[in-house]
Order: sequence, then C-alpha cells, then structure tokens
Amino acid sequence: MSVENIQSKVSFETKPFTFTGNAKEYFGIWIVNLLLSIVTLGIYTAWAKVRRLRYFYGNTWLDGHNFEYHAKPVQILIGRIIVVGYLIFTQIMTNFYPIVGLVLILPYFVLLPWVINKALSFNARMTSYRNVRLGFEGTYWRSLGIFILMPFAVSLSGGLIAPIASQMAVNYLGNNTRYGNLKFATDTPLGVLYGNFGTTIVFLLAGFVVLGIAIFGVLAGTSSAIGDLLVSLDPGGASLEVLAQTGIFGLIIALYSVIIFAFIFYKAGVRNIAYNHTLLDGVHRFKSTLSRIRYVWIIFSNFFAVIFTVGLLRPWAAVRTWSYIVSNTAFIQAGEMPVSRNTVDPEGNAATAEYLDIDGIDFGL
Amino acid sequence: MSRPDILKGRFYNDGASEFLEAELHHIGEALYVVEKGTDQKIHVQLESVADRLGNVPRKIYFTGDSVFECVDNEAVDGFFKSETHFFSRLTKAEGSWKFVILATIATFVCLIGLYRYGLPVVAQVAANATPAAVVQTMDASTRETVDKLLFSESSLSDERKAELRQIFDELVEISGQTNPPMTLNFRDGGRLGANAIALPGGTIILTDQLEALADNDDELAGVLAHEIGHVERKHSLRQLYRALGMAFMIGVIGGDSGQVVEDVVANAALLDTFSYSRAFETESDIHSVEVMMKAGRDPLAFVDLLDKILKARNINPEKDDTGWLSSHPGNKDRRESVKAHIEQIKAAQ
Repeated sequence: MSVENIQSKVSFETKPFTFTGNAKEYFGIWIVNLLLSIVTLGIYTAWAKVRRLRYFYGNTWLDGHNFEYHAKPVQILIGRIIVVGYLIFTQIMTNFYPIVGLVLILPYFVLLPWVINKALSFNARMTSYRNVRLGFEGTYWRSLGIFILMPFAVSLSGGLIAPIASQMAVNYLGNNTRYGNLKFATDTPLGVLYGNFGTTIVFLLAGFVVLGIAIFGVLAGTSSAIGDLLVSLDPGGASLEVLAQTGIFGLIIALYSVIIFAFIFYKAGVRNIAYNHTLLDGVHRFKSTLSRIRYVWIIFSNFFAVIFTVGLLRPWAAVRTWSYIVSNTAFIQAGEMPVSRNTVDPEGNAATAEYLDIDGIDFGL
Repeated sequence: MSRPDILKGRFYNDGASEFLEAELHHIGEALYVVEKGTDQKIHVQLESVADRLGNVPRKIYFTGDSVFECVDNEAVDGFFKSETHFFSRLTKAEGSWKFVILATIATFVCLIGLYRYGLPVVAQVAANATPAAVVQTMDASTRETVDKLLFSESSLSDERKAELRQIFDELVEISGQTNPPMTLNFRDGGRLGANAIALPGGTIILTDQLEALADNDDELAGVLAHEIGHVERKHSLRQLYRALGMAFMIGVIGGDSGQVVEDVVANAALLDTFSYSRAFETESDIHSVEVMMKAGRDPLAFVDLLDKILKARNINPEKDDTGWLSSHPGNKDRRESVKAHIEQIKAAQ
C-alpha cells in the first residue's frame, strides 16, 4: 500500500479554542480580588491568583471541554513567602556586607536553570484538560544554555542571533511538554523565524519613523504656542528648563516604548511559528493565527485604557487579550480523538514559579 | 426549595481523558456515579469539591484520579449543602452589581487611605523601631564607601574645626537631639563639591568647599541645623521604609496588571520618591529656621549659601524652580517658605 493511500484515509478536523469569559463577569472577580488583597495586606493574593487563573483556564474550551488550574492557594502563598523571605534576606545581607552580593552571583546563575525547569514543571502540572494534566520535564544543561547563556550571546550579537535563541527555547519547551502520556514535539524552521525577525525590524524602523514624524509635527505646530505660554507664565524663562527636562524624558520613554512594542510584535510571531510546528502524539497539529500588528495594537490600546481609567479597565483588557489569543489558536485532530492518561511527572515547585512570576506555559506570550 | 439528589454531568475515570455522560447520586454520605442510560453504579470517594467561580463548570474530585464535572453550580451547592461556603457566597456577590460597585468604592478608599495615611504612618513607626545599632552599622558602611569613592581628608585647620564643632554642639543641644548621638565630620568634598550630608546614624559631613563658599558662620550654622533636622526626623529611614512600602503595594496591586503597566507603575513610584524627598527637605528647612531663631542666629542666612552653591554651578538662583524630577525644592521656593515660616514664628511670639 502506498503512503498516499494511508494518508488519504486520515481525516483532519480543525477544532478551534474558544473563550467564554467576559469583562463584566470578570470585573466582579477582579475587584474583589484586589480589595481582599489590600485588606489582608497581600495574603489573599495567593487566592486571587488561583481564582484569576481558574477563571481564564476554566473559560477556555476545546472540543466541548474546558481547562482547569489546580494549584492550591496555600501552595502559592507558601511559595510567595519563600520568595519574599529570600529577597529580603539578600537585600539586608548586601546592605551590610556588599561583598555578599558578588559572592552570591555565581551560585545564583548556577541554580537558575534548575529553578526555571522547576517552575515550568509546576505550571504544566497545575494545568489539566479532560482530567489529564500536562507535564514538563526539562534538563539542566539545555536550560542553562537556553535561558542563561543564549541571552548573553544574543546581546553580544546585537540581537542578530535572537531567532536562534527563540528556536532553541520554543523547541525545548515543546519537546519536553506532555499531555498525560502523549508527547508534544516542536520543530521550528530557522528560516521562518528569521522571516519573523526581519518583519520585526521593519516594524521597529516604521515605529521610529512614525515617532519622528509625530515629534516633528508636535514641535512645529505648537512651538510658537508654547513659546508664548512660557513668556506669559514666567518672564525669567526657567520654566523652559523644566519643559526641556520633561521633553527629553518623554522622548526617551517614547523610544523605549517603540522598542518594547517591537519586542511584543516579535514574540507574537514566534508564538505563531511555535504552535504551527508543534505535533501532539506525532500526528495531531496546532494552528496559531495571531496578527502581530493587531496583537501589538491590543497591548498598546489596553495600556492606555488601563492608565486612563485608573486601572478600572484592567479586567476588560485582560479578557480582551486572552480572548484574542485563544480564538486564534486551534487544534487539528488527525483521525480519532487522542486518549490520554495521567502519568507521574515532576511536580515542580511553587516557590520557583512564584519567583519567576510566570503563569502559564504558552510559548512565551 | 428541595435539595437536588442527582447531579447531571460528565465523569472522567481513573486519570484518563475519556468521559461518560453520567449522573452523580448519593445515599446518605456515600456517593456513586451512574452512567447515563445504564444501571452501572461506580462507587466513588469524595476528595474535594472545587470552589465556585463565576460560571466555570464545577469539578468534583474523587480519589483514584477521577472527577465529575457539572455545569450547574447552583445544583452542586444544593447537593453538597455548600451554599454557605465562603466562595459560593462570594461568587454570588460578585454577580451582583450593587456589591461590585461597593467593592470598587471600598478599594479606592483603601488605596487612597493607604497611600496618604497608611504608608507615612508605617514608615514613621518602622523608622522609630529600627534599633540604633542597626542604623549605626549602616552609617559605618556608607562612610567607608564615600570615603573610598568620593571624599578625601579635610584641609581645614584644627582651630576652624573646633569652632564649627562648637556651633554644631550648640545647635544639637537646642534641637534636643540625643539619640542617635550626632558627630560633625569634615572632608574634602572631591567631585561632590560644596555640600553637607547627614547619615541616619547621626554622622554629618561638611565639605571644605562649602566652608569656603560661606561668608559668615550663620550661613553654615543654618545648613548644619538643616542636616540635624534630617537625622532628628529620621528622614533617610522613613524614605527607605516608604520605598519598601510602595514596592510592596505595587506588588500586591499590580500583581496582574499586564505587560507594560507594571514597568510604568514601578517608574511612577520613583516620582513619588522625589516628591516625598522634597517634602522632607522642606521639613528640614523649617527645623533649621526654628533652631536658628532659638540660637539667636539669622535663620535666612543659609538660603544665601544655597544660592551661592547654585552660582558656583552657573545656575541663576532667581530662576531655580522646583521640577518634578528634583529631589530638592528650587531655591526660589525654599526662600519663600523659609521667609513665611520666620513670619509665622515672629507672629506667634
């Protein structure tokens, strides 16, 4: 029997992920989380985190089943206390004995890959779909290479080898994650990653150009008005200094922002590529169709929405972002629905996950 | 309203992703699952019922890695008699817009209250509670650092140092400052130039360059009184604890603010630090005025010295405004508030 024949018998079914949460419902949960966190001087934040993630995971559906987040608030709380304790301890020590800071640097970087693996294991383990948990089991040396050494290398290369670092990272994440006893496999092509990188550079340059035009336009249009205003306010002209201070500060922020958004653009692209080249159990695939521009716009507009409403639109922004990401993700089932069973996977460690402050196991978004 | 005896939902057995449409029944405390359309009874042992949350389907966990899932949260609460459970009540409250509005107002009130009253109070209490020994150790290490990096030995004569120390001791006595004990040190200011600094443990350092810039001793005395004020009011410690408190608040509040907001809020906290720094400077200025007047010295003199410092840096004191990035109020404003305070004291006498 020829290969084509076998393949033509398998039916592919695209099943989209969906999100059933909404801003109105989440606002109530969010504001109560905030109020109770403040009133309990931060202790409730562990419960708040669990409720938040359970809301988002629980309202994310695939094929008629939802996801679930299993961490217990007490676990998270203990993890947070450990992290805070560690931070306070090192702060005090380095305050009295600055040498401690230097001495601790090496052990810190030696331990970090282990911490990262533990955190990834924990977050995976706390996620389930249809009663089967995800699992992650990394290796120390690859983690060291990918998360400690590669960032150095990327900076040394002026960012040019970033796609290589991205490839290593997402492949590592995908290849070491399991859904129960079913393995994922991620094999991203470097060429496509460099394509994303190229487009990001274009975006960055475009951003600078837009910024330049905006600044020029503002200056040209208002310089006379500003001049008159200043003279009328203060004949001495000292306000000009304050204005100049503000202006330069603003410019630095604007430049910084363009770079941050370019980075977000890049990460969205990597996410797409990672999902599009991930297999489950060797046959099922995934699809990610994020529009990088739209995603950047969402983050950008969310930011202003949240700032201008003193934070009140934060729940709306969170739902909007998650909803966009979820609705641009799909599972392509090849043939029969995969059946999975829970296996014994490393439990990971809550404190490590809290230290790194990473919530999910998405490919870096 | 009768309690439901049966829950309809899906049953996942034995840690596998396969499921059955099923019903959950109970006889007394014992639970069993019946597959829909059959008589098959599967006895299960309850491990836990997930907390109620919005409209998220409720999961009921059994031992042996099995779970029963039911979308009817109300029915689940009825079945397990868990309506009074904290999160079941909370979920209902979160669904009521009256409650949500109340919670929003309460949150704002708490936040504003914390920022305006809570933080300063906690910072003051913590500053007061910090043992003197701790503060002095901090001082010692700071002194070592500035001596290595910035300062060199003073070239003032021993007589001049004695003169200034006498003035200093007089000011300390008027301030009523005994703990921590204060000492006046002299240094060549190096790159720092004309300046005076106060460390929380009572170490005050006056640079040779500042001594040279002064035209009379009242000018220096005013500056010393200002620095004594910093130590007496525990400004450095309060600043430190305030920064810690802000960081904590931001951590708690901004816990899940999204990618860009967290960075911005952290940087905005810096602006808060500057504004509080200016407030402390004004507090010290007022302290200086009070001490100088009690000592029978000219309380306005030190502002002249501040003007001279600016002139030495080619800045026009007349145009020195308070910027929002400044750690000190501008000289113009300082002169105004010092004058105003002098009038206040004179009027009260």
